Amino acid sequence: MPDGAGRSFTFLEQAAIADQIDTGSQPHWLRELKESGASIFKKRGLPNRSDEYWRHTLLNQLVEIEFQLSNESPRVGQKQLSQVALAGLSSYRIVLVNGCVRKDLSSIGDLPKGVLIAGFNDVMSLLPNRLEKQLGHYIDLKNMPMAALNTAFLKEGVIIFVDKDITVDKPIELISITVPNKNPTMSQPRFLIDLGENSRATLIESHIGNTEIPYFNNVVSEIIIGEGAGLDHYKFQDEGTAAVHISTTALRLHKQSLYGGFILQSGGLIGRVEASAVLDGSDSDCRFDGVYLGRDNQLLDTTTSIKHVATSCKSRQVFKGVLNGNSHGVFQGKTHVSIGAQKTDGYQLSRALLLSRDAEISTKPELEIYADDVKCSHGATSGDLDADSLFYLQSRGLSPDVARRVLVEAFLNEALAEIKLNEVYEGFRSHIRGWLNKNINQTVAE
Amino acid sequence: MALLEIRNLHVKVENKPILNGVNLKIEPGEIHAIMGPNGSGKSTLSYVLSGRDGYQITDGEIIYNGIDLLELEPDQRAREGVFLAFQYPVEIPGVVGLTFLKTALNATRIHRGQNELDAMDFLKFVREKAQSLEIDDEMLKRFVNEGFSGGEKKRMEILQMAILQPKLAILDETDSGLDIDALQVVSKGINALRDANRGMLLITHYQRLLNYVRPDKVHVLANGRIARSGDEALAQELEEKGYAEFNVFVE
Ligand SMILES: Nc1ncnc2c1ncn2[C@@H]1O[C@H](COP(=O)(O)OP(=O)(O)OP(=O)(O)O)[C@@H](O)[C@H]1O
Ligand SMILES: [Mg+2]
Repeated sequence: MPDGAGRSFTFLEQAAIADQIDTGSQPHWLRELKESGASIFKKRGLPNRSDEYWRHTLLNQLVEIEFQLSNESPRVGQKQLSQVALAGLSSYRIVLVNGCVRKDLSSIGDLPKGVLIAGFNDVMSLLPNRLEKQLGHYIDLKNMPMAALNTAFLKEGVIIFVDKDITVDKPIELISITVPNKNPTMSQPRFLIDLGENSRATLIESHIGNTEIPYFNNVVSEIIIGEGAGLDHYKFQDEGTAAVHISTTALRLHKQSLYGGFILQSGGLIGRVEASAVLDGSDSDCRFDGVYLGRDNQLLDTTTSIKHVATSCKSRQVFKGVLNGNSHGVFQGKTHVSIGAQKTDGYQLSRALLLSRDAEISTKPELEIYADDVKCSHGATSGDLDADSLFYLQSRGLSPDVARRVLVEAFLNEALAEIKLNEVYEGFRSHIRGWLNKNINQTVAE
Repeated sequence: MALLEIRNLHVKVENKPILNGVNLKIEPGEIHAIMGPNGSGKSTLSYVLSGRDGYQITDGEIIYNGIDLLELEPDQRAREGVFLAFQYPVEIPGVVGLTFLKTALNATRIHRGQNELDAMDFLKFVREKAQSLEIDDEMLKRFVNEGFSGGEKKRMEILQMAILQPKLAILDETDSGLDIDALQVVSKGINALRDANRGMLLITHYQRLLNYVRPDKVHVLANGRIARSGDEALAQELEEKGYAEFNVFVE
């Protein structure tokens, strides 16, 4: 264990516990939920090498820096916002700055009937009973220390409810921005998304950092997709260069529901996006796809778990990573098929491209199958760009850099093709192109 | 000035000598054919000319248009007008054919001080060339060479040549694997590019191609050297007698 790990444990633990003292006005259930988070985190501390799914992702930053919850609301204008939002997209938008919901920057005034998009505190006063029934019920805090930490601090976040049979007419954009603050900022936002039966929605979640100063964004999302409902969920992790981004998403899919998740991860010094789904009702369809782009000393971790409980469900995961510099990519993907989950169709593919000799990938694909009538496969590859293809492109006049960029884009296309919404596809692609232009520009390739 | 002059070229691959003193001079406007037994080093020569990695040049020089070709990177050579039609064109999944052609053309145009073609002009330009090679839009929209038949790949190579308008074209067995009709289409494509300033090096095993594209000179590459040079009649002679005469010298 690194030096000072004890101290870090103490500071985050202390902060989590101190936060409980100020709970006077909170309902009993919320206090209990927070206390359970705090006590689990206190018991386990920060994840370390002995935690199976955290072996590669050590959070030394959280040992060394005393992050504080942000209470102030720094100045962020519409102009700054428009720089991070997706171009040409008309959406319902809710914005968080340093972890706090900012109504002045949000546009959720004219929501259609049957749709609620609001800050956690507003929903606490409006629909406390519904929150009580759902919050924390879909996530396994005991095995998710960072989600436990988030729960200990639970007081800010975004709640999205879509009623039965409603199709939300525009995408919902959830934008979290972090800007420099006096003290190193920590945010512990909590999201709860509940789609009623046969409803449909698209969610675009972006985490953007406008600073090179270290900060810590620890996000937890609980997503429930009702029978016959469908959610397309795009997640963009582009935190500041010194940030630690941890996000934990727990999904519950009911009968005949659809979830299409796509993660583009390129920000932060440490970025970890973890998603776990439980396929609870038959004939549901769950997809996790994504692209991660690592450079310099970044560590980018994608950890997924799909648990097939009901019969005849489909799951599919396609992740493509590009690692440059000294970056380290981690992909841990698990498909679990329970004993009753016959006719499961599970597919998983992880491919990483190492653009430099010092880049590294750790992959852990897992299939755990307890049913006998299933179709499951997984594959993982990693390697360099194909020398014959590079030469072929160069022999047609493309410079080595352009040839490399063309091939990297081609490599990513298989995952990007999963994006259904055109504005997101274009936005992500232009972000990727920008990244490639910045990161593949040494004429002499190593 | 010769378009291409290869002097005393010695090349090793993995420390094994493949070319042992090749001399060859191509003037602008000339078409040269190189024939020779399998493994005699014809593709090696074409790769060395286009700058592929993995070849040790132990002696000799290659002067192209008055410049030392060996000093240039593969992409620089291409932009300077050297084109290789590959014996085995590479499949590149994920890269759309049209996008690839456009990127390649514009790289060369910028180098020549011309403006980049916009999407409309480019499409018009490509379609026209593609049509004469019997390549349809569907093929252009597919990923580069992916799943193409042998003959389709060869036609694509000629299309690329027609688009890039090189000064020196090296065609490595472009006729192999073509059916009779495709051979005519491809030959027409090659002849269309025959021009007083352009030189071509046709690597082939069959006289068949040379009936359509009539060479100015024919060479036999054997034992890592140009063992014999002549005119069209040499190709005819080889067709009848084979390479026995040359194999005598194999150690
Ligand atoms: N990477 C390599 N490693 C070892 N030997 C090689 C390599 N590349 C080529 N060679 C050898 O060099 C020799 C010449 O090969 P080359 O492909 O140039 O022949 P070729 O004349 O084009 O033959 P063909 O008519 O069959 O196309 C062969 O003996 C081949 O095995
Ligand atoms: Mg050959």
